Amino acid sequence: MLPYPLLLLYRNFKRFKGTFFINLVGLSTGLACALLIYLWVSDERSFDRYHVLDSRLYQVLENRRTAAGIETQTGTNPLLAEALRREMPELDLVATTTPVPFFPGFTLAAGGQHLNAVPKYADPAFFQLFSYPLLVGTPATVLRNKDAIVLSEALATKLFRSPQNSLGKAVEWQMADRKQTCLVAGVFADVPRNSSEQFDCVLPFAAFKNMMHLGEVIKWDDDGPFTTYLALKQGADLAQFQAKLAGLLKTKSAQAQAQAQGRTLFVRPFSAGYLHGTYENGVATGGRIVYVRLFALIAGLILVIASINFMNLFTAKASRRVKEVGIRKALGASRAALVIQYLTESVVMALLALVVAVGLVQLVLPQFSALTGKPLTLRWEWPLVAAGLALALGTGLLAGSYPAFYLSGFQPATVLKGKVPTRAGDVWTRQGLVVLQFTLSVLFIVAVVVVNAQLAFVQRQPLGYDKAHVLRFDTGGRAARQQAAFLAEVRKLPGVVQASSVLGGFLGGRHVEEMRWRGRRLPVATMLVNYDLVETMGIHLVAGRSFAPQFRADSAAILVNQTLVASLGMPDPVGQQLDGGRIVGVVRDFHYESLHEKIKPLLLQLDPSINTVLVKLQPGAEQPTIAQLQQLYAAYNPGFTLDYSFLDVDYQAQYVAERRVAVLARYFAGLAILISALGLLGLAAFTAERRRKEIGIRKALGASELGIVWLLTSSLTWLVVAAIALALPLSYLLLQRWLEGFAYRVAWQWWYFAAAGLGALLIAWLTVSVQAWRAARRHPVLSLRAE
Amino acid sequence: MTAYPKNMNPMIKTENLEKVYRTEEVQTKALNHVSLTVEQGEFVAIMGPSGCGKSTLLNLLGLLDEPDGGSLQLLGTETSRYSERQRAELRKRSLGFVFQSFNLIDELTVFENVELPLRYLGVGAAERRQRVEQVLEKMQLLHRRNHFPLQLSGGQQQRAAVARAVVNAPPLLLADEPTGNLDSASGHDVLGLLTELNEAGTTVLMVTHSEHDARYARRVVRLLDGQVVLEHSRSQF
Repeated sequence: MLPYPLLLLYRNFKRFKGTFFINLVGLSTGLACALLIYLWVSDERSFDRYHVLDSRLYQVLENRRTAAGIETQTGTNPLLAEALRREMPELDLVATTTPVPFFPGFTLAAGGQHLNAVPKYADPAFFQLFSYPLLVGTPATVLRNKDAIVLSEALATKLFRSPQNSLGKAVEWQMADRKQTCLVAGVFADVPRNSSEQFDCVLPFAAFKNMMHLGEVIKWDDDGPFTTYLALKQGADLAQFQAKLAGLLKTKSAQAQAQAQGRTLFVRPFSAGYLHGTYENGVATGGRIVYVRLFALIAGLILVIASINFMNLFTAKASRRVKEVGIRKALGASRAALVIQYLTESVVMALLALVVAVGLVQLVLPQFSALTGKPLTLRWEWPLVAAGLALALGTGLLAGSYPAFYLSGFQPATVLKGKVPTRAGDVWTRQGLVVLQFTLSVLFIVAVVVVNAQLAFVQRQPLGYDKAHVLRFDTGGRAARQQAAFLAEVRKLPGVVQASSVLGGFLGGRHVEEMRWRGRRLPVATMLVNYDLVETMGIHLVAGRSFAPQFRADSAAILVNQTLVASLGMPDPVGQQLDGGRIVGVVRDFHYESLHEKIKPLLLQLDPSINTVLVKLQPGAEQPTIAQLQQLYAAYNPGFTLDYSFLDVDYQAQYVAERRVAVLARYFAGLAILISALGLLGLAAFTAERRRKEIGIRKALGASELGIVWLLTSSLTWLVVAAIALALPLSYLLLQRWLEGFAYRVAWQWWYFAAAGLGALLIAWLTVSVQAWRAARRHPVLSLRAE
Repeated sequence: MTAYPKNMNPMIKTENLEKVYRTEEVQTKALNHVSLTVEQGEFVAIMGPSGCGKSTLLNLLGLLDEPDGGSLQLLGTETSRYSERQRAELRKRSLGFVFQSFNLIDELTVFENVELPLRYLGVGAAERRQRVEQVLEKMQLLHRRNHFPLQLSGGQQQRAAVARAVVNAPPLLLADEPTGNLDSASGHDVLGLLTELNEAGTTVLMVTHSEHDARYARRVVRLLDGQVVLEHSRSQF
């Protein structure tokens, strides 16, 4: 036997099957969307939060005033950690580390095995600051010896079969033309997936300093790419510490003091970096959090759309239930009791929808995981259960509130006659809800159109280089030590058009330094390149020449882009002397960063030792050429594997977030429209039923079927038209803001709005006409008799 | 079946009771200065042609609607300025309703319909069951307790409605054309039930346009155009 409220619900649902079905589909798809988004959002929010010291773990950042405004950087001077340790008693632990994407082509060798690995050099406090549990070794001492190496569990298992077995074993690392032997001092549990930094081994920062002779050359006025992390003591005052830190650089050398006028150090909670990583003019402006908020908003909006269906159908069916309200009131039910009854009904409906939603989530989770690039799972832990219940409860209360207060408010004497008093306010509310629903749907459609148009624009936009058929890989071992010979052999392979190398990779941000020319200053990005880079990438020379081995002086020569020439106002750039060297050529502007960024002044400097290789392949000959490349690489480096990627794939990766938004927006828009259309279908069915007698009389008096269809569709059509009128300017405002994130963006086209508006109107018409047509075709005698 | 203390107050006392229905253009006076007293234990029939205001009067007396003027005392208490909550409280404790169209809730079984007033009174499940079964037995409906209203005949539905009206032993029972939707045999049954209840002490006020039904009452009040035009006893038919 069901509890009393459930029993009532069951019977009501049985009585109004169509409405029940529409509500169930609407609410469950809405809740499924919200649950999926919850999974994604909670995964994003879990990043870097698992460290025991999380609440007092910070990263040092620097604000630097430049001609272009304040730039915020994570790179800090390696002297900083030592100074902090000495001068700041409120600190518990401090560590400098190398940033993770810092060592391309790092390999480890032991027992004849060669493995690619991602290394990190860190101060001894690293394993005390961060909670990477050590399976072998102790956190305080594991990085103390300069020849120590700490391996990840996976790496230790690959090289030595087990973590325990690896302790004290010798490992040789190799990077470009350097190699060194070290001893395994510890093994850490593999870095969790929800860590913003992924690395396979940690080595002492002291060893790095020795290797690079940092101790001898580094000065306070240098800026470094190194990251500095610290833990405040329990109870230490953050604001006081920030103030002390901000003044630190001024206390250092005279030059640093001069520079310090425009340089300020500050700390940010370590775990905030993942979501709040973007700074503009020294102020945190967001980062991934923008998408977290966006998706949370979308989930909320979809739930609102689904709730509106519930409200509208419930109140539309009021005529069938008002009599019940009257009876209950006559029997002594208070308004509160009725409100509770109807809210219970909607909450139970939402809970039922939650059960269906969980099934839907299970069904689509693999696809959603692939889409978001996260292996998401439904784990029945209390936060998820609580979130699910809270979502269902919130939706139930939201959806049930209007009907509950609407129905319970009637005078019993009026409704006992079975008549629903028509109050202008109620009609407006119901119509307003439909307008709101369709406004959101049209907004979603415009978003889909614009986001896709911008992504198509990104594909079409001439980049100033040819990204097709370019292979990218990092060399190690002998191939790196004998880079020139290796590249020469690569060029000889049939199927290879050209080959060169570049520091770090061709795409992405570059180190920016201030350059001077005739008293003018300009922040300039530097790209370290090998011979033939310009030719390999199909970059156009507009003046002068490219680097060539026959010009011995090219080690002090530079190429610059047109933006640099224009920014400095150089009338005749070739031959001019800049800080970085003498200009021998000018290249046409090309997009070395994503289209989010404007092309900035750039100089290309020659460095034949750099080891990220770019190989231009002949179209159609990719597979055999890659096989030959692998053979050649193996001949240079027995035991090494060639990990390569294609540049056009790397290019697409720059827009992965936007692509995700595009796909998700498509799904969400589809769902929003589906749910809204379902609601409209229910409303149209109700209208047709309510006006059955009127239709019968009109037909008896000679109205045509088409006339009846128009009669029933016109009022709902106007609602959709009103929604379109509201949604179009709103969507323009919102999407313009999104587009402004791109320095290069698609121009608005009138048809974006026309397509969205017409699409919504067409869907609404199709939905309503089906019902209207059915009503119009009914024999008038039946309609009149039924009354 | 009902035991309640008798006191000096009449069950119902109205003075100059008024009700006006307004639309945008028309204003209709449904009740015009109606003054009426019904003593405890009486069985009163209110008669009159369609539209004379008898249902409006019953709705006001049953606190289902609010008067626009005048005074309305139930059991000696002035109720014309009661809030919705106070009216609901008085309805559930002191009033029972029987309607022409039965007004049973279609989704509830006979048992559930009858127990509804007890639920609103917060009576426990065991006592509810006992009282509902008792009243259903009296109404000869116990064997239909799990049926839904639409599975019953009109007479059975009205008996269920009477059972629901009296299950909480209200001192005042208001019946609006209780036989209007019934055949004559079922109508007779229902009027017999009302008479029995009245004899047991329940005050009954019945709206009817049937002279036949009105003969069951001890007193008849005749309305015309929202005004009391005649009051007489059963013997004066």
